[in-house]
Amino acid sequence: MAKIDLKTIKNKAGKEIKKSQTLKELDRVFKRYLGKKGDLSWILRSLNKMPKTKRIKMGKKANQLKEFLEEAIAKKSGEIRKKTKKSSEGREWFDITIPGKKPVSGHLHPLTQAKKKAEEIFQSMGFSIAEGPELESEWYNFDALNFPSEHPAREMQDTLFIKQKNRERLPSTAKLLMRTHTSPVQVRYIKENQPPLRIIIPGRVFRHEATDVSHEINFYHVEGLMVDKKISVANFKAIIKEFLKRFFEKELKIRLRPSYFPFTEPSFEIDFSCPMCRGKGCSICKKRGWLEIMGAGMVHPNVFKNAGLNPKNWQGFAFGVGLDRLTMMKYKISDIRLFYGGDLRFLIQF
Amino acid sequence: MLFSYNWLQSFFKEKLPRPQKLGEVLTMHSFEVEEIEKEKNDWLLDIDILPNRGPDCFSHLGVAREIAAVLNLKLRFEDYRLKEQGNKTKDYIKVMVKNKEECLRYTARVITDIKVAPSPKWIQDRLKALGLKPINNVVDISNYVMLETGQPLHAFDLDKISDCKIIVRRAKKREKIITLDNERYELDKDVLVIADSKNPLAIAGIKGGKRAEIDKKTKTIVLESANFNQRVVRRGSKKIDLRTDASWRFEHGLDLDLTETAINRAAYLMEDIADGKICQGLVDFYPQKVSPKKIKLDLDYLEDLLGVKISPMKIKNILKNLGFSVSQDSSSSQLLVWVPTFRLDIAIPEDLIEEIGRVYGYHRIPSVFPTAALVPPERNLNIFWEDMTKKVLKEAGFSEIYSNSFVNKKEAELFNYKDSRLIETDNPISADYQYLRPSLIPNLLKSVKKNQRFFGNIRIFELGKIFKNSKVKEKRALTGLMTGDVFYGAKGIVDMLLNKLGISDIWYDQYQPTPEESKIFIWHPKKCAEIKVGGKEIGFLGEISGKVMEDLKLKSRIVVFDFDFEKLQKIASEEQEFKPISSYPSAVRDIALLVPRDVLVVDVLNKIEAAGGRLIRDIDLFDIYEGEEISEGKKNLAFHIIYQAEDRTLSSKEIDGVQDRIIKVLEKESGWEVRK
Repeated sequence: MAKIDLKTIKNKAGKEIKKSQTLKELDRVFKRYLGKKGDLSWILRSLNKMPKTKRIKMGKKANQLKEFLEEAIAKKSGEIRKKTKKSSEGREWFDITIPGKKPVSGHLHPLTQAKKKAEEIFQSMGFSIAEGPELESEWYNFDALNFPSEHPAREMQDTLFIKQKNRERLPSTAKLLMRTHTSPVQVRYIKENQPPLRIIIPGRVFRHEATDVSHEINFYHVEGLMVDKKISVANFKAIIKEFLKRFFEKELKIRLRPSYFPFTEPSFEIDFSCPMCRGKGCSICKKRGWLEIMGAGMVHPNVFKNAGLNPKNWQGFAFGVGLDRLTMMKYKISDIRLFYGGDLRFLIQF
Repeated sequence: MLFSYNWLQSFFKEKLPRPQKLGEVLTMHSFEVEEIEKEKNDWLLDIDILPNRGPDCFSHLGVAREIAAVLNLKLRFEDYRLKEQGNKTKDYIKVMVKNKEECLRYTARVITDIKVAPSPKWIQDRLKALGLKPINNVVDISNYVMLETGQPLHAFDLDKISDCKIIVRRAKKREKIITLDNERYELDKDVLVIADSKNPLAIAGIKGGKRAEIDKKTKTIVLESANFNQRVVRRGSKKIDLRTDASWRFEHGLDLDLTETAINRAAYLMEDIADGKICQGLVDFYPQKVSPKKIKLDLDYLEDLLGVKISPMKIKNILKNLGFSVSQDSSSSQLLVWVPTFRLDIAIPEDLIEEIGRVYGYHRIPSVFPTAALVPPERNLNIFWEDMTKKVLKEAGFSEIYSNSFVNKKEAELFNYKDSRLIETDNPISADYQYLRPSLIPNLLKSVKKNQRFFGNIRIFELGKIFKNSKVKEKRALTGLMTGDVFYGAKGIVDMLLNKLGISDIWYDQYQPTPEESKIFIWHPKKCAEIKVGGKEIGFLGEISGKVMEDLKLKSRIVVFDFDFEKLQKIASEEQEFKPISSYPSAVRDIALLVPRDVLVVDVLNKIEAAGGRLIRDIDLFDIYEGEEISEGKKNLAFHIIYQAEDRTLSSKEIDGVQDRIIKVLEKESGWEVRK
């Protein structure tokens, strides 16, 4: 009888499980067979009253059936859950147009981002990054760079000098000023490092200038220097074109115009085709189609001499680009003073 | 500087390109042409002559020479012959130069029988177009020749010169002169003058004086064409604050050989236009004659430096058009170049290479990537750590600001920066920029003031250079601030920042201001701490004092953290080691502890840790409570203690044992009570 019972239970329970539509129904099936008072449980409980051989045989089968039913119920329950979830999710009302919740995040200064970008571009072309002091000696800022002693840039109206006792009597290596360009680091770096060398020098520079939309008392330069046996103007052109192309993410034209700097010879001014109007002429480039972007040239032999190198053996190019101006161009910022005003309404846009 | 298109055209037989086109050509090969304006039947070109080219190009002749070179045209000079007659110049006038270093050349001519009258229209027109006021034929011719050749000239009325003597000397102290425009100047020994035996007649190289002015009755003139030392003119002009067309040209330097050409040209025009008779010979003080410099130019080097091959023929042609003489041995790749004396700017082969490069055209140089050894760029640790720090703070919701590197006196005083430690600028643009910033805090607070109207919670930071008058004058600082009653929030940010920079072992030390400090202390007297790592101070954390807040009209409380970034970077580390993740479960037990109010949390934590030993993975202070249901003078601290072992599942018996041990240790302290 017991044998038949197990088979019956299997069939009956199997059908009932299959038929169940809801979890509740399924639960009832579970209780009917596997609950405390369930049919199969009763059989299992009655096992110990049976003789040993029968008990072993019967016990094994009953337990197999128990496992089978449990598995079937679990499977069915999963199916039911999946089905009901699907249908209720489908009925839910949800508005995806409600604004998302933004986590609070800070902002990096646009000049930091532009500087990073310039650094990455040049590093990818093998340039290292060098730095130097903002509070500089007159020797490094002027003498070493071949500025004649009476050069107008040395006068009060261009350069911020530091108050020192008996300043007039100090040697130029001890006279202090706020560096007017990052070029002193050229000399500092060459003194410490043997060519060939490839560096850029980003940094803050200072001018004695009344502030307005395009002038600040402090601003940023990125200086570049490449020295080797045969570095040429042609090489400079390729490097700087590549930099501008990657910085503005556009193919831009450049042109070199004659210029004069005491520390380069030949010297040139670099214009690039206005990225706003692509050279057609607009308000940004004042209808010229070209924008002045940097001064550059081939390192003057005297600069090599002052840095302790024999100019017969080395040649190279140097350039200085205004980072503020590049950044203003990139983001269409019209007033340089926004960079240094600490106004969050400006800064959080970046 | 303005140039007349028609005047430039007069140097050429061929027709020049239209003004616009000529402007473009000059911009690309010589000097930037900033503007071109039509002026009656002429055009005016505003040309930005490069400062080193002043000596030859502050003149129409100089710019015409550029045009000739760039367009490969022939320069045409007006052919004239001087008719000298009558007495010798030296019989009329004696020239004495006191110091030949200050007046390098003094050339004079005497012209008699002058008829002073208005100059002809063509001269007047050219002067007017270029911004000069016509006066009379003598003065106008001097100015005309200056615009043409670049050499300033001056004419004196010979009859007004005492003893027929011209003396070039330094002015005496308080010596006075009234200039042609009726201005009175007091001179001193820094100023060079042209005087007769009595008084100054002119300020040398700067401006003529009233005394020997040309007037309607003038019959005989002395024409001066001199070369004064650049520095002396610059110093003098600065001293008396007077800059003129003449002083500006002398300051840039001039060709010593030009005095003679210019004076002859002017004399010829005076004869031609003002019916003057030119006396015989020159009076010429010219002790140290110039001769053309000689430079060897290696053509291989030229090709290497420019990165383009230019034919020797072309090179020679360019140089010749610019006024250089060139010779070449047939076999050698070297040129021998003689530099004309008017090119004061040319001294080395690189100068010649520039001449050739620009005239040939920089646009004809191809762009070619350099071939160089594959040397990977060096890593810059300063920049690496700066970037890392900025990134962490940005992720923590801080925005980066850049401020000016200066503070004013009021700020310096408010923050009690000692005068002796401040670095002061010698020529500040305004009082706001008097001192180099000794700290980033003042400017950050200024930014809060600016932003507090628009933003509730402000979190900003700056990483930049600060300056102090000590052995190390300049170093980097990292300063950040948060608004609100957020001391612990800021402390948490500091901990997080330092952890991310690989720094542990952080300690906060209560800061006790010295009595002297406390009067003008910018920090809240209790809410401030030194941030120490390994026992060394690297920064400061604190709330800004009420007094400073009031002075600066700041609304919300502000907590600042301020680091010496050099110190911070030194201890920062990228090293990190993976800790295996325990596969055994952790268990949490809580402890609520009643302690006297003045007990420091750190002391409690230390006790729990010491008693708990290695099985404690973490202790989390989740509540501090004072007030209702807690007796006066006490506070309740509630901790989660998280237990976990790396090698086994802890039994509750084992955990309870440790927990009991901790409770016993805590209860040993008098006045401490574990609430059960």
